[in-house]
Amino acid sequence: MLARDWRGGELGILVAALVLAVAVVTGISAFTTRLQSALEQESHRFLAADAVLSSTRQAPGEFVEEAGRRDLRTATTLSFPSMIFAGEEAMILASVKAASDHYPLRGELTYSSEPFGEVKTATRGPQPGTVWLDSRLFALLNVTVGDKVGIGEAEFVVEAATRTEPDQAAGLSSFGPRVLMHYSDIPATGVVQPGSRVEYRQLYAGAPASVEAFTSWLEPQLENGQRLLDVDQGQPGVGRALARAERFLLLAGSLAVVLAGVAIALAARRFSERHTDYVAIMKSLGAQSRVINRLYGSSLIMLGLVATAIGCTAGWALQAVFFGLFADQLPVTPGPAGPRPYAIGFATAFTCLLCFAWPPLRRLGQASPLRVLRRDMPSENRRTLGDYLLGFVAIAGLMWWYSGDIRLTGALLLGLGVTGVLGLGLALTLLRGGRLVGMSAGSIWRLALAGLQRRGTANALQVVIFAMAIMLLLVLVLVRTSLIREWQAQLPADAPNHFMLNIAPDEVQDIEQMLRSSDVPSEAIYPMIRGRVMSVNAEPLPTRDDATGERHQRGANFTWSDTVPAGNELVAGQWWPAGTEEALVSLEEEFALRLNVKVGDRIGLLIGSEPLEATVASIRKLDWQSFRPNFFMVFPPKVLAAFPATFMTSFHLEPEQKPFLNTFIRRFPTVTVIEMDVVVEQVRGIVDQVSAAIELVLGVILAAGALVLVAGVRASVDSRMYESSILRALGARRGLILGGLAIEFAALGLFAGLLATVAAEFSVYLLQAWVLDMRYVPSPWLWPIGIASGTLLIGALGVFSCRGVVSSPPLAVLREL
Amino acid sequence: MIRAENLQKTVPMGGRELEILKGINLEIKSGETVAVVGASGSGKSTLLGLLAGLDEPSTGRVVIGGTDLSALDEDGRAAFRAENVGFVFQSFQLLPALTALENVMLPLELKGQQDALSQAEHFLQRVELAQRLDHYPRQLSGGEQQRVAIARAFAARPEILFADEPTGNLDSRTGEHIIELLFQLNQEHGTTLVLVTHDLKLAERCQRRLQLEAGELVVT
Repeated sequence: MLARDWRGGELGILVAALVLAVAVVTGISAFTTRLQSALEQESHRFLAADAVLSSTRQAPGEFVEEAGRRDLRTATTLSFPSMIFAGEEAMILASVKAASDHYPLRGELTYSSEPFGEVKTATRGPQPGTVWLDSRLFALLNVTVGDKVGIGEAEFVVEAATRTEPDQAAGLSSFGPRVLMHYSDIPATGVVQPGSRVEYRQLYAGAPASVEAFTSWLEPQLENGQRLLDVDQGQPGVGRALARAERFLLLAGSLAVVLAGVAIALAARRFSERHTDYVAIMKSLGAQSRVINRLYGSSLIMLGLVATAIGCTAGWALQAVFFGLFADQLPVTPGPAGPRPYAIGFATAFTCLLCFAWPPLRRLGQASPLRVLRRDMPSENRRTLGDYLLGFVAIAGLMWWYSGDIRLTGALLLGLGVTGVLGLGLALTLLRGGRLVGMSAGSIWRLALAGLQRRGTANALQVVIFAMAIMLLLVLVLVRTSLIREWQAQLPADAPNHFMLNIAPDEVQDIEQMLRSSDVPSEAIYPMIRGRVMSVNAEPLPTRDDATGERHQRGANFTWSDTVPAGNELVAGQWWPAGTEEALVSLEEEFALRLNVKVGDRIGLLIGSEPLEATVASIRKLDWQSFRPNFFMVFPPKVLAAFPATFMTSFHLEPEQKPFLNTFIRRFPTVTVIEMDVVVEQVRGIVDQVSAAIELVLGVILAAGALVLVAGVRASVDSRMYESSILRALGARRGLILGGLAIEFAALGLFAGLLATVAAEFSVYLLQAWVLDMRYVPSPWLWPIGIASGTLLIGALGVFSCRGVVSSPPLAVLREL
Repeated sequence: MIRAENLQKTVPMGGRELEILKGINLEIKSGETVAVVGASGSGKSTLLGLLAGLDEPSTGRVVIGGTDLSALDEDGRAAFRAENVGFVFQSFQLLPALTALENVMLPLELKGQQDALSQAEHFLQRVELAQRLDHYPRQLSGGEQQRVAIARAFAARPEILFADEPTGNLDSRTGEHIIELLFQLNQEHGTTLVLVTHDLKLAERCQRRLQLEAGELVVT
């Protein structure tokens, strides 16, 4: 029977929808899985490993032994500040990093043979007895490659200029210009003593499963001062971007599932409608319901298997094409996809068949044989509420399984629910209203409106399906736009990429002058004082070690200002009037939360050995990833006037301006400059890759959405073709017929666009609030776009799909149907 | 009135051309009633479609009252149909979206007639359906649907009426009633009637019978 149906051409529609669904779901799933693993790999570069144990003392050897047993590779680094000498008088405080043989385990080091020279890559650091120096140190120490420099009691040969390290981003602790040396040379220098300010890092890398097993073994054994770093902690900016990108890809994949389900539902409906006559004939020839059910049941299973096989192959090809097309934009190596995408494809095919295709086909068995005599008899094969519930549950289950995220699933389903309920109600009401108004209108309008109304329920359903497809696409476009916009806002091209700390008060003017005359854009110069929060409302806080919860004594940097610092936003309280002498303070939101204080509370501080009490006047919100000077506490200037302060700022340097640092450091040797430009570039690189991936997935989903729209339009083409051909026989011109069709479809598109916009706005609100951790911004521009695109798209698709009726002889159409 | 010259119609079928009509020549005078008879597959309906301008011949031409149909494009033929031609089909072909009244009004509106509503009401009354103006086709029986179709066909007062097996889907009593109506209205309006039928009784009511055999006219 399958073969016979295939020849009849009707099975083709269902198979095509199934293959499309499986291909899109499998393709996107494989693509995102591979992309995720690639991006994760990429992100591990920022740790120079898969996992890192950071500690102030050397970690016990048993950790390394255990890692070895689990087939993990390991390396060790040790970072500390130290003076570096050259010749008789040159001496600079440098940030030294000693690395063992296999460092870095992930990513690469870059170096050059001369300061600021041509960049080369290396998979390991300097050999014992040699050092790599920051380019700036060559000038400051007046040395060249091959000269000797001293660290502590040992002497080293300068081998190269160090340029970047994969884990350079690891926090702001890396003060001073970098010196790279070999780990085995540490004892000879004698600079690392018990109590020295040092950071040990043990690096681990290996198969993901082994790393995960190892870290879960390690975690319970960690003591005070030992921390396991993951990607997020290594590089918060990248971590957040990746997390969001991952959610977005999952969101996109879930949309593919929904669109696939809708496409199959549409195809199945058309299939069963067309088969009602067929079944009626079989029944009139004596076939029993049972026989018919068995026939269609086994056909469906065969169909599912064939479609899954074709779909999985097509899906595999799809993702291969993606990676092929975008190989340049995605310089990461895609990881393996594993069997999961194909399992998802298989499950999607059979769930959709069972929940969307089977209910109407099962009822085919009950079709009345009387239809043989009267073809226009109302079909009993109407969908029941149960069908829709079943479909909804199936979609929900698939989405949940696919995304593994209940909130993401919930936000989308709520949006879809709104579309469904609002849609059916609105569409039915409006379509009925259209009838009354339309009666007095000209013939073309009445034709169109009568058509709309006569297929009332079917049209309402069609509106809902169009609306759902449009809504999903709008949601995707909106989320993508706001994600990318936020990333760009976070890291504008001129974002500060260097910090300057430890500026003496009498240097402030000279430095401002020098920055200005060298055309270096900088943030304001802020005073910085370090102190400790000792009490809240006169109640002493415990030390960190004695504390049971979050609330304990905390050290913090603070500043003074008469205005709200740039990039900060007041969320509670009020800013003080300029020149106030009152002991007030403004706290950063998170900081206030951890201390559990509100506006009006009093906090006691210790600055050096001086106590200070201040009342919380306001709470501020700020973006820690803005690369601007940010402070936990801000005081009125007069309150801190008596305390000694240093100053800090951040500024932006273009790559070709780098030599400015040489001049600057010679003139202000005590100022600490922290170079963040490499980090900023790395973050931007990741964001660019992720954005490209998002655009790509968006494109695929848009195509899938368009296909659903086409399927939706096609579902009603038969009856419209039939009516149009009668009209033509009666002498209607093509303009009239196409006009009527255009009005009919455009009206459907208008409702769908309106609904889609409402539901999209609602879903985006939920998604941004629940899932993507972003602030909801209404998008008024969405309304005209959503409505116009719905009207034009559906109108054009409808006319295009029915254009055949005016180009073939009416007799042919009448005969065929 | 209607003149067919060397009408040929071939359709591609399984890679080769199938000749349905093999050079038909005929003439039908104004006001004449003609039945086209023949076995299934002899090409009756194809001939009707060509005469009515619903399809284009492969070669040859159809001239109606001086207008050469094959010289017109589809829109031209549509305008010509709206002005001059009415149809009654075997399967009624009413628009399911429209009520009986609206179905009858349709050709009048296509002609741009102002009194479409009253005309349509008049013709529905004429076919004894005055009580069912606002019913949809699915709410009508087969005989009633065909009566609506007849009302629709005559409402526009066409010069020529084409009927394709008008009684084919109806029982014999209903069929007879339909035939009565058809000929009554035909007489009242002096319409030229061309009908395709299997029904010998119906064929006999016509002034002339054209016998088609395997795509060719045979003399009776």
